[in-house]
Amino acid sequence: MDTRSSNLKSSALSVEQPVGAGTTRPVLRQALRRKNHLDANHGKMGYAFASLYTLLLVAFGIVPTLYAIFLAFTSSSGSFAGVANFVQIFQDYRFLPDVGHVAAFLAIWLVGLVIFVVLLALIVHGIRARWLSGTARFLFYIPGALAGASSVMLWLFVLDPAVSPVSFLLRAMGLQTLVQTISPQHLPIVFAVIAFWTGAGGWIVIMYGALNNISTEIMEAARIDGANAVQIAFSIQLPMMRKWIAYMGIMSLAAGTQLFVEPQLLSQASNAVVGNDYSLNQLAYLYAFQQNNFNGSAAISIVLLVAALALSAVFVARGGLFERD
Amino acid sequence: MTALTERGSRRAGLSQGAVSRATGRTFVGLVLVVFALFFIIPIVWLLFATTKTEQQLVGTNPFSLGSFQGLAANWNSLVGFQSGAIATWLGNSAFYAVAALVLTLVVSIPAGYALALTEFRLRRLLLVVTLVVMLIPNTALVLPIFLEINVVGLIGSPLSVILPFSFFPFGVYLAYIYFSTSIPRDLLAAARIDGCSEFGVFARIALPLAAPVVALVAFFSFVQNWNNYFLPFVMLPSSSQYPMQVGLTSLLASTPAFNPSALGTSPIQLPALALATLVSVAPVIIVFLFSQRFLVTGMTAGSTKE
Amino acid sequence: MVLLHSNPRRPQRLFRAAAIVTGTVLVSLLATACSAGSSTTSSGSYGFTEAKQVKNSAITVWVDATRLPAAQAFEKAYPSIKINVVTYDGAANGSNSFKTKMQLFDQAKKGWPDVVWSTQDNDSSWASQASGGTQPFAAVLNSGLVPSATLANFAKGALDPCTVNGKVYCLRNDLAQNVLWYNKTLMDQFGYKVPTTWEQYEALGAEVAKQHPGYIIGAAGDAWTPEIYMWASKCQANDVTGIRSVTVNTTSANCVRMAKLLDAGIANKSLTTDSVFSPSFLTAYTGKVLMMPGPAWYSGAIFDSKTSLNVPAGQIGAAPPLAWSGESAVTGDVGGGTWFISSHSANLAAAEKFATFVTTADAYQVKLAPGLPAYAPAAKKWVAQQVASKYFVDDLSAVTSSAAQIWSGWGSPSFSQEAIWAKTITPGLTAGQTIESLLPAWGTAIKNQAQVDGYTVK
Repeated sequence: MDTRSSNLKSSALSVEQPVGAGTTRPVLRQALRRKNHLDANHGKMGYAFASLYTLLLVAFGIVPTLYAIFLAFTSSSGSFAGVANFVQIFQDYRFLPDVGHVAAFLAIWLVGLVIFVVLLALIVHGIRARWLSGTARFLFYIPGALAGASSVMLWLFVLDPAVSPVSFLLRAMGLQTLVQTISPQHLPIVFAVIAFWTGAGGWIVIMYGALNNISTEIMEAARIDGANAVQIAFSIQLPMMRKWIAYMGIMSLAAGTQLFVEPQLLSQASNAVVGNDYSLNQLAYLYAFQQNNFNGSAAISIVLLVAALALSAVFVARGGLFERD
Repeated sequence: MTALTERGSRRAGLSQGAVSRATGRTFVGLVLVVFALFFIIPIVWLLFATTKTEQQLVGTNPFSLGSFQGLAANWNSLVGFQSGAIATWLGNSAFYAVAALVLTLVVSIPAGYALALTEFRLRRLLLVVTLVVMLIPNTALVLPIFLEINVVGLIGSPLSVILPFSFFPFGVYLAYIYFSTSIPRDLLAAARIDGCSEFGVFARIALPLAAPVVALVAFFSFVQNWNNYFLPFVMLPSSSQYPMQVGLTSLLASTPAFNPSALGTSPIQLPALALATLVSVAPVIIVFLFSQRFLVTGMTAGSTKE
Repeated sequence: MVLLHSNPRRPQRLFRAAAIVTGTVLVSLLATACSAGSSTTSSGSYGFTEAKQVKNSAITVWVDATRLPAAQAFEKAYPSIKINVVTYDGAANGSNSFKTKMQLFDQAKKGWPDVVWSTQDNDSSWASQASGGTQPFAAVLNSGLVPSATLANFAKGALDPCTVNGKVYCLRNDLAQNVLWYNKTLMDQFGYKVPTTWEQYEALGAEVAKQHPGYIIGAAGDAWTPEIYMWASKCQANDVTGIRSVTVNTTSANCVRMAKLLDAGIANKSLTTDSVFSPSFLTAYTGKVLMMPGPAWYSGAIFDSKTSLNVPAGQIGAAPPLAWSGESAVTGDVGGGTWFISSHSANLAAAEKFATFVTTADAYQVKLAPGLPAYAPAAKKWVAQQVASKYFVDDLSAVTSSAAQIWSGWGSPSFSQEAIWAKTITPGLTAGQTIESLLPAWGTAIKNQAQVDGYTVK
């Protein structure tokens, strides 16, 4: 951890401060007893504080997850089915193409999001004028307020070069009709753009809040020492935001593997020119509610979960998400 | 460090620093403008679209203004849909989102605090399990949650929506990260030494410092619940209970552009749909603006300045 | 010294309780899911196991916004029958909401509505099958529940999408068979005759392209293009031969001849590849549509619509569907919704009254319905009303007569043919490929989709 922050901490009252030579042993023992009692107390309160959440976690997280795992390994009559469901989904003609779709989307989306959100957050935080910073954050966030059904119509128009407000851009890229814009090879980029448009604002706000929590004293000290903005960003701000960036990475990974909303709304907007089986999550949905195969659907979900877990382990490790200072 | 010396050193590096500062500022300004345009152009278009008729929407410049009559016609068309269903939908959305928000805060903030700043044996397990649950696709969880709610007989009651909404692991993690990075443990230890009860430490020390994360969690919880389509769709059988998002699908299905068989009494035209989009988004924007004030106060609230 | 792990019992008890709760909930979940328990009592005389009937209980009906007037008309006509009206999106635009919710109710073993409206016409393919251990959602209608006289009065073929293995599972609301819409004013102005065969149609397209470029005689850019053109050519792309069996042959002579016709028209631009609901269609072709094969509802949706072509009165007429020379004319069908009665209904009498009313009563079908009724007596009066409005130049007899010409070789499987065409052909067209070259890919896509939906493909 950064030396400057630990300097700050050591200046606060701490039980770990070395006792002076004149302290007698009984006092020391009493102090330790008190510490252990306090530790025990706040362990107990830890359970209490987390209890309500744990209840909800069990009800709406653990039990459904276990049920999904149960479904993935059984057949529709409830009997054990081994890996039959997994074999079935792997052999589905849509499975491999969908894996490619999600992988392509994830690569573009994750990289773009992390880089641009951090950049924009740093910039927005660095703006001195409060009104400008607030306005910028507000403008960046507004698209995030549009949820799925609300934006179907918006994308129907924005992606159609004939009527789009950015038609000059689309035409410059050689696109003349809506169907050209949403042709299969463009889709990963289109979805990444849509997902970024709606998702970036929220993360910028979170990162801004994270940056606010970095003590201004540290920043001032660095500035006085002659560091410019880029150096401050790389040596102070970014390391202190490690956990937040890791969290953003993980959540974006989850959102990316669970790609659903963007292809679904484009499927509606384009009247099915973009299929409703573009992503793996959509496939899981179709298995459950179109093909009435809840077991196959659960199998796809488990595959997605395993993939997301494996990928996010990287973020957890490098971001130190579970560590505490 | 006095102000005099600071100014002196600045003057000394004027010629070199000025150039790089100017290019730096241009770069920053450019990035800001480009991204602001990126985020805002479609919204501006949407605003203009609400004032137009459908022919104008297609025929005229995307950034031209329609007419006030156009706006009025679209408004009437929207409000008249199913005799003011949109008001019911908005009311339902507000009820579910606010009730869930309160419950979420009561559940998530203490949990995040506990995970970050207290020590108990299952702490790490809870963190890992929460992460796993966040990573599993929602599709897999819908049916089990539906069956659970059905078993306790809550299908069709607002609780069937509010309770699952209150489970907000994203918010718990936000709180956990915030508490573990922004509040020094020594501060709490000091309070404990001074005889403060655990609950007192939380309520009187950690919570006031947590205003930003409370605002963040409240805000994201509200938005997620406001925008959630699938859970209310699954849980609520009666259309008078629909929140805005589910109602919007009825609206979409009455738009001939998306559903050619939607002829009849008063089909919804695309500009009215644009207006519906704005109406459904407005509460979120308002909540955002309101919560922004809390987000600005950071650690500058003065915790460890002795 | 207080040891760190002698924590008081309470938190541990709490977690033990949580584990017990988890276990209990899991077990009950599994029990619910696995049980095949049914709460039905009598095996009814209507061909399915009826739920316990509760006389005079309120029924729940699901309609969409456009069909709300039907429910209101029923309330006016039968004030003593209590109905709860729920509006939903009608399963339109691929939302699949009807099927999704019924499957959830099947899993929960309760909660089904009594009457459901669907904008789709292929819901019988799943509603007639058992799912989740419960009996099929749709009640059998032709074993006594609906009077056979009523059923006999529906237009020939109208109930085909509702019929599975001889049993009728739903009532058809409206017909959407294709006719040849034409603009008499423009045709007279250019001196063209309305064609009666597809060959004449193709030749006319070539003439129009030469003499009046910019004018079109049809649209091939919508998802329902195969239902207008391919169906009318007896292309065997969608031949549903059993509950879960389909024959798909998209490269037969019938399919190729129509593909060639479409390609020729697209090449000489007498057929547009724009969707008729797209902005570009309106800007390019307002006032330039000479004729357009299309469903009956094109009249209200495209021609006589202020937000579409907005053709003035006195110009549009309906000609009979085209035939390939030497063959009799058949036509396709684009849509037409259906009404289902739930087999779990606790008040079948009221449900039947409602479903029959909304499909046959003049108070709705003639006076308020926006589309051509599938119930023949009502259809006659509805057409007369349209003619009386003096918008059309002829007596719309083509609309009435074509209702009986729908080719029966194109079925209503549980998957969407429109979606397959939109995904496979439309992007290819935009990229400049011909439909004829895409026919094999189209066939493969249909076969793949059919197989994952549980069909055996021949």
